[in-house]
Amino acid sequence: MKKLVCIFVLYMTFKYVSAQEIKGDIAYQYIYSKQWDKAIQTYNFSRPFLTEKQPLLIHGINPSLSYIFKSSNNLKHGINLSYSYFRSSAKNENFKNILNLHFLQLGYILHYENSEKLKNAYVNLIVSAISNGLFRNLNGESFEYDEKKSKAYGIGGNLTLKFGYCFEIKEKIISPYLSVGYTPYLYSPNTEAVINQTKELTSKTWTGIFNLQMGVSYHIQRKN
Amino acid sequence: MNRRNFLKQSSLFSLLGLLGTSPLLSACRKETLFDGVKYEGKIIIIGAGASGLYAGYILKSKGVDFQILEASSKYGGRLAKLTGFANFPIDLGAQWLHGKNSILGDLIKKTNTKITLDDTKIKYWFNNQLVDKLPKDIDIFEGKNLPDVSYKDYAIQQGFGNEYKYIVETIAGDQGASASRLSVYYNNLEEDNWNAGDDDFKFEETFFDVIDKHITPHVKNKVLLNTIVDKIDYSGSTIKIMDSNGNTYSADKVIITVPITVLKSGDIEFLPSLPAEKTNAFSKIGMDAGMKVFLKFSNKFFDENISGGSICAAYADDSVGKAQQDNILLAFVMGEQAEYLTSLGSDTAITNALLQELDTMYSGQASASFIASYVQNWTTHPFIRGAYSYSTVGMGDARKIAYQPINDKLFFAGEAMNINGHHQTVHGAMEAGYKAVIDILNSVKK
Repeated sequence: MKKLVCIFVLYMTFKYVSAQEIKGDIAYQYIYSKQWDKAIQTYNFSRPFLTEKQPLLIHGINPSLSYIFKSSNNLKHGINLSYSYFRSSAKNENFKNILNLHFLQLGYILHYENSEKLKNAYVNLIVSAISNGLFRNLNGESFEYDEKKSKAYGIGGNLTLKFGYCFEIKEKIISPYLSVGYTPYLYSPNTEAVINQTKELTSKTWTGIFNLQMGVSYHIQRKN
Repeated sequence: MNRRNFLKQSSLFSLLGLLGTSPLLSACRKETLFDGVKYEGKIIIIGAGASGLYAGYILKSKGVDFQILEASSKYGGRLAKLTGFANFPIDLGAQWLHGKNSILGDLIKKTNTKITLDDTKIKYWFNNQLVDKLPKDIDIFEGKNLPDVSYKDYAIQQGFGNEYKYIVETIAGDQGASASRLSVYYNNLEEDNWNAGDDDFKFEETFFDVIDKHITPHVKNKVLLNTIVDKIDYSGSTIKIMDSNGNTYSADKVIITVPITVLKSGDIEFLPSLPAEKTNAFSKIGMDAGMKVFLKFSNKFFDENISGGSICAAYADDSVGKAQQDNILLAFVMGEQAEYLTSLGSDTAITNALLQELDTMYSGQASASFIASYVQNWTTHPFIRGAYSYSTVGMGDARKIAYQPINDKLFFAGEAMNINGHHQTVHGAMEAGYKAVIDILNSVKK
C-alpha cells in the first residue's frame, strides 16, 4: 500500500500541470458493518462488569484528494486517495477502552460533468482498493499482549457514487457533495480478536461495509 | 436562485444532513445484543464452575430467571483454593492465566487484580541429569500439514528416541493429555483460533479468588449446592430435571456445563436419549486423569521448573508470583502418569513416589527437607474425573457436534464446548457460558 501511495504522489507531482482538476475533500462519514457491529455488541453483552458500553463504530471523518485527468469529454477519469478515521471510546473505572479504526483507499474515478444538462453538478463513480487497520487502546496505552500490539488489518474493494455541485466564492471553487459507498468484501480476519478477544465466535472473518459521506470539496486547481 | 441563496440552502442542507440523517441511521443500531429482548422463561444451569457461574452472571444482567444446580458441596468447579498449607494461597485447580487478550484479561484489568508474568526457566531431566538445554530442539508439534497421529508417535517419527519420552509427556501434559492420546493434527487445528496470547501469568492471590470476588457475588444466591442431577426429561414443552434426592426442577431451557467426563459416563440420563451422533462426539473428546500435588520443603533446593520426570513430567515452583515465599513445589501430573499415581491408592504413596523421583534428581535433598504434602486428585473427584479436555487422534468435528444445542432446549457449555480455540481454559469456559446464553436468546427471537 505504501508503494501505491508513493506512486500516486509522484504521479500527481509530475502531472500537476496537465491536470484538469485537483480537489481536496473533507467529509463526515457514516459506516455500517454488520459483522463489526456484532463483535462490539457481543463485547458489550458479555461484559456486564463494564457499565459504560462501547459505542459502535459509526461516525468518522474522511479527508481525500482527487486528481482528474485533462480531457475535452464530459466523461473524464482520474484517481483518488482517501483516508477515514473512526473511534469508539468507553470509559469505565480502571478501564478506558478505545478502538481506533483507519481506512485507506486508492481508487479510479469516472468523473461526469455536463454544463448544459447538469449545470454545475457532477457525478463521480469511484472504484477503489480499500485497506483498514483496527487498533485497541486501553487506559491510554496501546494494548499489547506477547509484547505485540493488538491489531487487525483488512483488505477489500469499494464502489462509491458521489454527487457534487460546484460554486464559486471569491474566485475559489468549492462543492458540497454527498456520496454513497459499498464495500462488498473486506477480509479482516483478526477484527473480532481485537474487539471481543475471540475469533469466529460470533462474526465472520470478512465483512461488507456500507458508507455514506457528506462533505465539501475544495478545488485546488480547475481548468476549463 | 442567486449564489447567496444557493450557498445558504446548500449549507442548510448539509447541516441538516449531518445532524439529522446520521443519528437516524445510527439509532437503528443497538450497542448490545438483545437490547430490548425480554425473555420470561426459566433457565436452569447445571454446574457451578466458571462456565455456569458466568452464564448465570450474563442471565442476571439481562434480567432472566435462572437457577444453578451444583452437584458438589462447593461452587467453582475446577477452580479451587487451599489456604493454611503455605504462607500464600494455593490454586488447587486452574492456576495460570493463559494470555491476557481475553475476557478474563479485561476483568483482571478492570478489577486491578495483580498478576505476574511467569517467565521462569526450565530445567530438563534428560539422560539422568538436569540440563538447561536439550540436545535437539523438540519444537515440532506446531505447524501446517501435520499428521493425525499422537504426540508420542510423531516424536518417534521425527527421530526423537526414548530419551525424549518424558519431555514429550511434559508437552502433552500441558494440554492435559497423555502423549499417546493427544493428536498433533487436531490440537493444531483446534488451537488455530487461539488469540489470547502465549504469555502465562500467575495470580498473587488465586484464580479462584478472581471468580469468587467478581462473578460469584452476582449469582451466589441462585446456586443450589449438593444437587446431583440424575435425569433430564426434555420430551415435553417444559423440561423436567430430577436430582438424586428426588427433587424435580422445571425449566424452559437448560445449560449443561458439566465436564465432558460426566457427559461421557452417562451419569445424567436424557429423555429422550441424546442422538447417537452427539454421544459419539462426547466420546471423541479427550479428558485424561490429572492431579496437582503440593510438596512443602524446609529449603528451596529445586529449580523453578523441572521437565521430563518419569513419575511427574512437570514440576513448578508454586511461589512464583506470590507475595510470600514458602518453599512449595507443585507436581503437575497429567495423563498416564496421573493414572499411575492414582493407582497407588493413597496420598502418602503418591507423595513418596514423587519424593523418590526428586531425590534422584537432587541427590536426596527432597526427603531431607520434606515437611508436608497436599494431594488434589481431580481424577477421583466424583463430579470432575480428570483435568481438562483435549483433542484426540481421529476426533474430527466432535467438539462442534458436542456443542450444538438440541431442539433449542438443551445447550452445552463448559471449557470442552468452546469451539473457538479456547477450550481447556477458564476464559474459554466463560466464553462457552455466554455463548450458550446468546444461543438461547437467539432461539427465543426466532
